[in-house]
Amino acid sequence: MVDERELIARVRAADPEAERALYDAHVDRIFRMAYRMAGDEALAREFTQDTFVRAFERIDQFRGESSLSTWLRAIAMSVILNGLRKVKRFRQREVDLDAASGVGAPGRIAEPDLRDRLRRAIEALPTKYRTVFVMHDIEGYTHQEIGDALKVPVGTTKAQLSRARARLRESLAPFAQEWAT
Amino acid sequence: MTDDRWERAMREMAEQYNEPPEAPRDAMWVAIQETRRARAERRTGVRAIVRHPALRWGVGIAAALVLGIGIGRVSGPVAPGPVVASDDTQSGAYRWATLQHLGQVETYLSLVRQDAGAQRVQYVEDDGARTLLSTTRLLLDSPAAEDASVRELLEDIELVLAQIAQLVDAQTLEEWDFIDDSLERRGVMLRLQTVVGAADGAL
Repeated sequence: MVDERELIARVRAADPEAERALYDAHVDRIFRMAYRMAGDEALAREFTQDTFVRAFERIDQFRGESSLSTWLRAIAMSVILNGLRKVKRFRQREVDLDAASGVGAPGRIAEPDLRDRLRRAIEALPTKYRTVFVMHDIEGYTHQEIGDALKVPVGTTKAQLSRARARLRESLAPFAQEWAT
Repeated sequence: MTDDRWERAMREMAEQYNEPPEAPRDAMWVAIQETRRARAERRTGVRAIVRHPALRWGVGIAAALVLGIGIGRVSGPVAPGPVVASDDTQSGAYRWATLQHLGQVETYLSLVRQDAGAQRVQYVEDDGARTLLSTTRLLLDSPAAEDASVRELLEDIELVLAQIAQLVDAQTLEEWDFIDDSLERRGVMLRLQTVVGAADGAL
């Protein structure tokens, strides 16, 4: 296993093999997160590429106070959230929370329908709640990792996750009742 | 128990939310290398926006305005004489300078918008915004700004150029979103194009 400090030193010295090794070590998780947030392969690729372009440009600014993966994740989340903001503005698309809450519960609920409602309910969450929900409940990051990536205290990520879950529960309440019966 | 089952089912279904495909590692790596190469070339290449032919005029206009305002201030308190023609000449000169300046601003903002859209920093990094900002402020202090609509446009331009002047490197390029919003909200580009287009048509 390559020592991280040695790898970074080689990347700073513009060693192409080291750059590729750094990329290979982290690209999958960054791409996964970008795809989870964007829901679109072209955007996920763009966000991932931009993250690494920035990381290589700024590698001299990496002080080693956190792990390289934490540092990269912080860059990635900044790129992803800024990118999504632009996309949202261009698309002028807002998902209506009421639409996701399923006013007038259907008599019998097929699972694909429930899955679709859940997807829409997640997309209807405010970006900061959705980000924390996706990172924690779907991608399995710890609150500490999320806090470091988003540059917010752990208490904030915990509160946001709790609110995200509460909103999803509320949005899917008619389905839960159906499920119980 | 039912609640647990429900929560578990939700968790499992959430895992399928935007389920990612395998990362296209090699394709992304090639794109990253190309972007880095292009950025490196740009950084070692053109640095000074002032060298852009479309913006060389800015310095000249600024100098002319400094001179014009200086003359105006010196001659301002003098009692009105029979030199009506010189007022017309001065007014025409300010109008010409304003239109030239608005044309430069339109060109510059178009270039910066292209750059920002492509996540590049060539024009944002240069001093073009500061040069144009100085001229804008000179025009705001001049008789050119007596027309309310011109004044309003110049004030909007002043705000946008001041914001761009603060974007010094790629790290702050993200701030472009706010500037672009402000451009759109105020309809600056459209108003510039209207004024510059009308002037071109009249010449």
